[in-house]
Amino acid sequence: MNKLGMSAKKATGFKYFLWILPFMILVFLFSYFPLHGWIYSFYDYKPPRSLSDCDFVGLYWFKMLFSNKTQVAQLIQVMKNTFAMSLLGIMTSIFPLFFAVFLNEIKNKKFKTFVQTFTTLPNFISWVLVFSVAFALFSSNGMVNNFLMDNNFITEPIKFLDSDTHTYLKMLFWSMWKGLGWGSIIYLSSIASIDQELYEAASIDGAGRFQKMKYITIPELMPTFFVMLMMSVSNFLNNGMDQYYVFQNSFNKEHIQVLDLYVYNIGMTGSSYSLATAISMLKSIISVALLTVCNLVSKAVRGETIV
Amino acid sequence: MKKRIVSLAMCALMMTSVFAGCGSKSASTASASAKGDYSKEITLDVYDDFANYNGEQSGWFAKVVKDKFNIKLNIIAPNVAGGGDTLFQTRTAAGDLGDLILVGTSNGRLDDLVDAGLVIDMTDYMQGQDVVTQYKDAIDAANEGLDGMYAMPYSCSSDSATTPSEGTEPTFGPYVRWDYYAELGYPEVTDLNSLLDVLEDMQKLAREEEGTDDIYAFSFFKDWDGNMMNNAKQPCCMYGYDELGFVLSKYDGSEDISILDEDSPYMDVVKLYYEANQRGLVDPDSTTQNYDIMSSKYAEGKILFCPWPWASKSYFNTQENTAAGKGYEMLPIDDMKIFSYGAYPQGDTSRAICIGSQAEDPQRIADFIAWLYTPEGIECNEQGNGAQGPQGLTWDVDENGKPYLTEFGKKALPSNDVTVPDEWGGGSWKDGVSALNFQCVNLQDIDPNTGSDKYNYTTWESYLADASTPLEEDWSAHMDGAKTTMEYLESHDMLGVAPGTTYSTPTEDSNISTIRGQVKTTIVDGTWKMIFASNDKEYENLKKEMIDTAKGLGYDDCLKIDMQNAKDQTAARQAAKELDAE
Repeated sequence: MNKLGMSAKKATGFKYFLWILPFMILVFLFSYFPLHGWIYSFYDYKPPRSLSDCDFVGLYWFKMLFSNKTQVAQLIQVMKNTFAMSLLGIMTSIFPLFFAVFLNEIKNKKFKTFVQTFTTLPNFISWVLVFSVAFALFSSNGMVNNFLMDNNFITEPIKFLDSDTHTYLKMLFWSMWKGLGWGSIIYLSSIASIDQELYEAASIDGAGRFQKMKYITIPELMPTFFVMLMMSVSNFLNNGMDQYYVFQNSFNKEHIQVLDLYVYNIGMTGSSYSLATAISMLKSIISVALLTVCNLVSKAVRGETIV
Repeated sequence: MKKRIVSLAMCALMMTSVFAGCGSKSASTASASAKGDYSKEITLDVYDDFANYNGEQSGWFAKVVKDKFNIKLNIIAPNVAGGGDTLFQTRTAAGDLGDLILVGTSNGRLDDLVDAGLVIDMTDYMQGQDVVTQYKDAIDAANEGLDGMYAMPYSCSSDSATTPSEGTEPTFGPYVRWDYYAELGYPEVTDLNSLLDVLEDMQKLAREEEGTDDIYAFSFFKDWDGNMMNNAKQPCCMYGYDELGFVLSKYDGSEDISILDEDSPYMDVVKLYYEANQRGLVDPDSTTQNYDIMSSKYAEGKILFCPWPWASKSYFNTQENTAAGKGYEMLPIDDMKIFSYGAYPQGDTSRAICIGSQAEDPQRIADFIAWLYTPEGIECNEQGNGAQGPQGLTWDVDENGKPYLTEFGKKALPSNDVTVPDEWGGGSWKDGVSALNFQCVNLQDIDPNTGSDKYNYTTWESYLADASTPLEEDWSAHMDGAKTTMEYLESHDMLGVAPGTTYSTPTEDSNISTIRGQVKTTIVDGTWKMIFASNDKEYENLKKEMIDTAKGLGYDDCLKIDMQNAKDQTAARQAAKELDAE
């Protein structure tokens, strides 16, 4: 027994608890405390008034979401966009892996570093700036259109930004441009940790460059790839809104509006915090459901769970 | 047990949100500075629903305010920030909207601000100020139903309700590049469709003469879209309609039309714009540009048609251009009847100035507000709306007691890029114009500093005598000798004056405003898509889609309320008219 009247084992336990306490507080502050905002979805909240001045409406906003066909149709369209863009993102998450593999084969060190820096940089540019670049290049009097018009390739400016053709692909292009280099960093570091003896053994066996890639590098990277994949699946609905927010306009809204953006458009511009809160609650529920499904699948396939 | 924990948790949550609301409730404790003690400089956060400029006020107006009150104005403009009500909502939710608040009061917004404790009762601070006695009726009307003096009124006027509140130019009207129109030989314009033909010819002519392809008949922008696409609403106003929610209500109350009706003026205009785009008359930048970019095109005279005099004439009709015979002038369409806002004898209660509850020095802010209603305040603050500016710089009174524009004034007014003398603050005249964009008193009122003339300098004899440029003379010769646009419109019965009333739309249920928010977006997006549709079939499809979606979301529920509001507004206008007749 020590001063605090605890057994030695308990004291150690308490010490360990104190170690993690700051992190628990942080998690509570940033992950659980904001949940108290869910209460807004049960009220008829009008901003200048405080919540206590507003009426309690129960599940009204949740019912409203499904109250009529058009509302549901809009929600379905939004979910379609969210799923489509998330899926496209996941499907293309293999590209950073290939990029890393190919980059690794470059023997000229200077050139390699240059390419790596050059492709990583866009990740640090905010979407707002990316959009202004896009605007300068692709708007009706942007560089590309001016170039094409001046050289008489076209007579009318091409509408790159303000049309609804291939919206998903365009968005995919921008996010890949921004994220490719950054995404490949983790693979590059994994490659560095691959046992060099494997390559030496393969060389002795007469394996060429591509065979080494195919039979050693890529299989060695697969575990990392799957971890990354799992993480992106649990973030399925969180495909961000800043990108879509800056690129949205009257013309492409139908296909660009992902769930987060929809919540923003309804809550902020459409001035209904309560409805927006209700939708984002639904989002959390779906996310939890997705994670559970993912977990079950993982258990069935790999025999171990993620969470 | 479980239930108890849940209820406990709920209680805790409730308490947090209750406390969160507390901040805004606490009354302003800052003691009022003794009147006139302005030794410490303060910067006011000015939340301004009407400003089109965001940031610190600069230039000559800033200097006037600084010299008089030692105040700097930091303008916070939702119009610039975009995103509709976002800024208002986030700021009010945070409990501090601003120190000085200029706000639209419709939909019960003023009541909300008062109830939430975001604005203060300024009765004590206003004691002994001239504004309180001079505009007593208007102040009473602005604070009707409130217990105290929370709001100061907009557009107070000594004219009757049926007198147009505009000066020599209406708010809306078909303005075109008159020089090109003249070159075409003044073809007759019978309706909007024939206007399109004329504009097409004008565009061809202008492009040939200037040798560039970037001249267009129409150019649009999206910043001001609200219930509908703003640009598409404007021509409706040339036929006597103004919007009230989703209703277009005629100035005399004879007609209230749903904008989505098959034969509504709004739909006609959308079709017209679509037609214009098919003929290559619409600026392709329209879909992405904002008001600033568009207005710079008007300043260069590159857009041939404008629905507003203040966005075309004011920018392009400089001394230099008009002397060369170039400029925008109103081109009458035979069947038009331009909507005109009648004067507000009791002030326009749909807009108000308030003092924020978190303001540091409410007394000084009240002094500043009171000053805005004095002749000097009106001359300076409302320069951007058409007043003459500070005496001694832009204008003065001659030996006969008549006002005239100084040489500087002639160059600088209405809002030109002219360098201001250093003792007046320096910088560009245009950039120094008050960003508040708030007319405390109507400019058709008499300015005592001028003797017996109006604040609106374009009505002065000396100005009208000077204004006879080749452009004006040519226009006047084809307008039966009319001296001003308003004169022509009034003599040809082309002006529909809606009597000024104190009506403002009542608070609406939040489920309706939620639906309205979604419907608005549907209509605005749909309209843009329709105008830029590639063919008739696509146009019809988009139209059907827009109407179906809007109705599916609950358009009709909103419309019912808007129709009722339109009826109430008409009744108020009728009453004001009868009061006038007495």
